[in-house]
Amino acid sequence: MVLEAILIGLLGAIGILDGRIFGQMMFERPLVMGPLVGLVLGDFTTGIIVGATLELVWMGIVGVGSATPPDVTTGGILGTAFAIMTDSGAEVALALAVPIAILAQSLGILVRTINTSFIHRADKYAEEGDTKKIVLMHWLAVGLFFLNGFVPNFLGILLGSEVVEGIVNAIPQTITEGLQVAANMFPALGFALLLQMTFTKKLSPFYFLGFGLAVFFGLDITPVAVIGAIIAVVIYQLMPTDKDKEVLL
Amino acid sequence: MEEKQMHHQVSADQDQIVDKRTLRRVFWRSFHLQGSFNYERMQALGYLYAMIPILLKLYPKKSDLAAALKRHLEFFNTTPAVSSFVMGISTAMEEKNAREKGVFDSSSINAIKVALMGPLAGIGDSFFWGTFRVIAAGIGISLASQGNILGAILFLVLYNIPHFFLRYKGTFWGYNQGTTLLSSLYEKGNMEKVSYCAGILGLIVIGAMTGTLVQFTTPLEISIQGATVNLQETLDQIMPNILPLGLTLLLFLMLKKGVKVNYIMIGIIAVGILGKWAGIL
Repeated sequence: MVLEAILIGLLGAIGILDGRIFGQMMFERPLVMGPLVGLVLGDFTTGIIVGATLELVWMGIVGVGSATPPDVTTGGILGTAFAIMTDSGAEVALALAVPIAILAQSLGILVRTINTSFIHRADKYAEEGDTKKIVLMHWLAVGLFFLNGFVPNFLGILLGSEVVEGIVNAIPQTITEGLQVAANMFPALGFALLLQMTFTKKLSPFYFLGFGLAVFFGLDITPVAVIGAIIAVVIYQLMPTDKDKEVLL
Repeated sequence: MEEKQMHHQVSADQDQIVDKRTLRRVFWRSFHLQGSFNYERMQALGYLYAMIPILLKLYPKKSDLAAALKRHLEFFNTTPAVSSFVMGISTAMEEKNAREKGVFDSSSINAIKVALMGPLAGIGDSFFWGTFRVIAAGIGISLASQGNILGAILFLVLYNIPHFFLRYKGTFWGYNQGTTLLSSLYEKGNMEKVSYCAGILGLIVIGAMTGTLVQFTTPLEISIQGATVNLQETLDQIMPNILPLGLTLLLFLMLKKGVKVNYIMIGIIAVGILGKWAGIL
């Protein structure tokens, strides 16, 4: 169990550091972390499926702007891990992952608050023209983020698995079924969050167009994306540039 | 105000001190942008971290170096994927500053950074978070939910092709053409057009996902004068998946009204459990 806990802890660290020093290549997302957790715990397929479910749920939760969002990396990793360890499905993963993500969020907020002290010390070293020490300040903050990812995931597996097993086994069936219903509803929140980013009155018909293509014609995401890309390109070409604006309008 | 100024100040000219190798180091270091993220100045220290190779090359004198180091510790925050473009611009401006010492207004370096980070974050977020990631995740999820590992792989590949391309090229575009490029894009209104059309694509995909990925039905049956009416069948006749659509729009309205995401998450779990228990959901 200790080895697994260390490996899962390292996954958590890599996931948190994705948005920090790996340029946010997106391996922090549950869709990628799920299979990796599955690999560590010996159930690859469940990892993939639970990861996909959690990704769907949290699709709209992103670190845009200055706000610190719920920690979907730690929530995703521990949720997937506990689902695999207790032999249960995505609905249990979700029920565990949501509170974990909210709890881990506060840890992330703490780190970002402490990091303020490093930039103050960097100010001093800048004054002295000491780039080596500035770089050290940067890496100290990176180190805190490493712990931010490693510690909760490591401890979660090491200390939490028995507790969680007990909780999961004690959950009555009506609640598990209710969680399944909630799990099915959750993606709506993800899409609502995405709409918050992209939806405008003028663009709204395109949202309903996408919905209609899927519902009435039964199209999958990929063909809809292709059709959408074609529509976007055509509209781009039809839009007037400043030069011919007077001619067209 | 600085339109004219920007044109002749920012673009790098023939006698460049900064070579391609050093710029490539800025590109790689730009991945560190949020490594020391903090609430006071956000990405500032990460930005400086990426600029250090340039500054060391440009300012052999310690007092000049110190001034430059302090300059890049000012508040900065933008979409990580487009940060290298701003770093390229900063590089060109620092180079000019080092060459025309005393003549160049070094405060304009930060002025440009501050002026760019907002609009670039707007475009960057809508492209990378709102379009590329959504499409990549949509395709990835539909494969992964069948247990196919290709889902995760495709997700990473589809997202990172435009990501790496724009991040790498952006460094050099920023350095070589600087704000000239950006202002010409804005002048012709092309940027607006591009982000408008990206919005179209993003919304179409989000619409399709609302229609396929939210499963929200009701088992409720209503008896009217002895005849039982299945509510779900009736709703399906009006429009398939009308409940998922309604739920999504309802949550969207709640978010617009300022309801916290965490409350909504907990609320959904509560509604799910209560709804199942009461036999409504």
